[in-house]
Amino acid sequence: MDKAEKNIGWFVILMTFLIMIWGTVDLTHKRTVTLRVGVYAGSYWDSPNGDCYRILDQAIKRFESEHEGVKVEYVSGIGSADYSEWLTEQILMDREPDVYFVLPEDFDLLVTSGALAPLDHLILLDGSFDTEAYYEPCLSAGRRGGIQYALPQESVPTIMFVNKTLLSRAGIDMPAADWTWNDCLNICQQVTERIPEAYSTYDYSWNDALYANNASLFSERGDSCSLTDSNIRDAIRFISRLEEMNHGRIVTSRDFDLGNVVFRPFLYSEYRMYQPFPWRVKKYTNFEWDGLPMPAGPDGDNVSVLQTMLMGMSSRADHPELAWEFLKLLCYDREIQLDLYKYSRGISPIAEIAENSGIVELLQKDIPGTTEFDAEVIHRIMTSAVEVHRFPGYDRALMMAENGVREEAENDSSRGDGLLSLQREINEFLSENK
Amino acid sequence: MGTEKRVLDTSMLMLAVNFAVILFYGIICPVTTFRICRSLQAYEFLSAAGTIPQNPLMVPLGALTQFALLTAVSLRKQTDENGVPRNAGFVCFAEIILCIGIIWSLNFYYTGIALLVLADLVNYIRDNKVRVLLLVILVFIFAFGRYEVISAQTGKVAFSVYLSFYDAKIQGYLSAIESVLVSANILLFVYYMVLLFNGESAEKERIRSLYDQLKKANSELERMTEIRERNRLAREIHDTLGHTLTGIIMASEASLALFDRQPEEARKRLEAVAGAARDGLSDVRQSIRALRPDTLEKHTLQQALEEMIKKFEAATSVKVDFRQEAGDLYFASDEEDALYRIVQECLTNAVRHGHADAICVTIRQQESALLIDIRDNGRGSADIKEGFGLRHMRERLDLLSGSVTYGNRKDDPGDGQEGFYVIASLPVRSIKGGN
Repeated sequence: MDKAEKNIGWFVILMTFLIMIWGTVDLTHKRTVTLRVGVYAGSYWDSPNGDCYRILDQAIKRFESEHEGVKVEYVSGIGSADYSEWLTEQILMDREPDVYFVLPEDFDLLVTSGALAPLDHLILLDGSFDTEAYYEPCLSAGRRGGIQYALPQESVPTIMFVNKTLLSRAGIDMPAADWTWNDCLNICQQVTERIPEAYSTYDYSWNDALYANNASLFSERGDSCSLTDSNIRDAIRFISRLEEMNHGRIVTSRDFDLGNVVFRPFLYSEYRMYQPFPWRVKKYTNFEWDGLPMPAGPDGDNVSVLQTMLMGMSSRADHPELAWEFLKLLCYDREIQLDLYKYSRGISPIAEIAENSGIVELLQKDIPGTTEFDAEVIHRIMTSAVEVHRFPGYDRALMMAENGVREEAENDSSRGDGLLSLQREINEFLSENK
Repeated sequence: MGTEKRVLDTSMLMLAVNFAVILFYGIICPVTTFRICRSLQAYEFLSAAGTIPQNPLMVPLGALTQFALLTAVSLRKQTDENGVPRNAGFVCFAEIILCIGIIWSLNFYYTGIALLVLADLVNYIRDNKVRVLLLVILVFIFAFGRYEVISAQTGKVAFSVYLSFYDAKIQGYLSAIESVLVSANILLFVYYMVLLFNGESAEKERIRSLYDQLKKANSELERMTEIRERNRLAREIHDTLGHTLTGIIMASEASLALFDRQPEEARKRLEAVAGAARDGLSDVRQSIRALRPDTLEKHTLQQALEEMIKKFEAATSVKVDFRQEAGDLYFASDEEDALYRIVQECLTNAVRHGHADAICVTIRQQESALLIDIRDNGRGSADIKEGFGLRHMRERLDLLSGSVTYGNRKDDPGDGQEGFYVIASLPVRSIKGGN
């Protein structure tokens, strides 16, 4: 045996040894599998939520009892504002949780960077899982390029806040759930005429309105902007007409709090937070209020913008099957979803739960008088809602558009089409951003 | 050789530079990652990178482990005594795989390691076809393994993303270090190749000149061998045929003289002549076959000498007094040959030139030399000329580190009688007792 052969021999022995150590470590590892969950504290939807870990703890308890030898861990105390940074930090250090919450604005980055594992094959192989159970807009929030990367855990649509006291003072009835832009304009016109200190709307921009007119500001892939579409022009015109009624006065949140504003878009989570007693009285002491679906534009429907909290699993998860089971437990299990619906501020993405009449009644029991939010309205909102695709650079492009449109409105728009050059500018930014 | 040492030094320097490059990336990547996390820029980093980076510690750990293995394979690889690589296939395969592994571990930032491996293998493998194959493979890895070329397929974070999280000044320093190290590796590689191929062509030149010398020496040797063989043949012919023919002439002349007076005696002599002629023929045949005396073939030296003397006496009717005083004689065959031929030559000479009728042959040992003393009662020689026989005798003895002296017995102070003497001296290599 010559020296080189001896070396190879040693090499093989060393490798075998290493593999044996690795195997042993792996075996002992298997005895107690640890599943890590990434979770944020509080509520993402700007509404206090004291029981943030309660449902999760319940789910973990159940999961651990169903899966022997599995331990589920999570780090508590990460606020939703710090969650994105915390999660990306974990990814950078290669120790991200196996299953984690995905904030709507992070979804795109986590998909394109490959941090999230595609779920399609797991969905396909899992006979107990049916995507039909979800509202399509909620499910599609976790989809990119036709591939499902995350499951919806909770959704929050934007709805319209209505100051009922102002309406009754002006002698106007609550509009129906299928009201339109014209209804909105008429109501505001009448209220502002009859009550001098009243303002039409607060915080209602053309960007909030355009989805109800079957329009979309940016393309699906986030590479172009369609600011000059007639549907968007209609939305801009609609909003400027509403603002004209305020006679140049900039409406502030104080005006709103004082009960001088008729309409304001707000999140369904806030509605759920403040509508029940005693919050209802504490928040807005001197007026009655309620929610409505968003008004429909001439070419659209009562479409809300939907924000969906997603959950996905890491593409580097050590135990993808277990991670999938846990993901399913949090996002698909009826019991957990029912609990979530009770204790959180959003709407369950599962139709069966969201429209569960028992729960809807439970939610409505504190609201005085009649409310529009019955199961049917929830169904209509949730099935027609749209998810805004927040691609990288979305915030910047939106800011450019909003600033541009505002400038356009302030200047005299008679000197040519300013929107066209603005659109060109934004498209330029988007193509550079790609 | 100077070039060889320089080649070795350059390869060691390349190894050091590559180690430094790996250390550079191996430090920058994790340190930057920790910095980014500490300054809460992780989200920004992931957005800029567009892909999830591998575990930051895997860059130094993976690359350095594989580099250590590569160094071990490179330094411990061996060639046999003819410079042919051992386990060449394994070494090439292992080094290329480790090279790819290191490039992968370093996120494809650095492919100069392929040049290190190429330099190492080109020096190791001397087969030109394999060299070209290695060159193609490794240059391909070097050129196309770059992050810029295959970034789309790798899913790795660009090094520039790490650098972009430093301020401009530090970015400048780091880029400078990076490019100095990378260029140093390329320069060293070029220098190494130049050294290697210069060294090789010098060696080829040397080999060619040595080959020429060898060819010349070989043809010289052939010529020498031919001459020596011709001389040897001449000596053999002289020794065998000369001796036999002299005997035949002498005996037949004697027979002629006796023919009328003593026909019976003449007949006997003629029979002896016939015998001598037959023996001569056999000798010639033997010479041609093995160039060895026939009698020596069959008998011991002593027996062969006695036989030869008996035949000589019979053929020439010269009285030969043979005294063997050296005990049992055992010699190597070349020595036996020489002794036998010397005695034979002297006997022939004594009769042919000295016209002697009595010869005394004494073999005795004196210290570590064997002396063969042959004295005749002939007329000696007034003017001693070294003829063919004596010269060959000297040549034979020279070959065996022996010597020969000869002259008229009158001139020998211890003798003083008429006649001629020859004393051959041969260093004793082995005289074994026994028998």
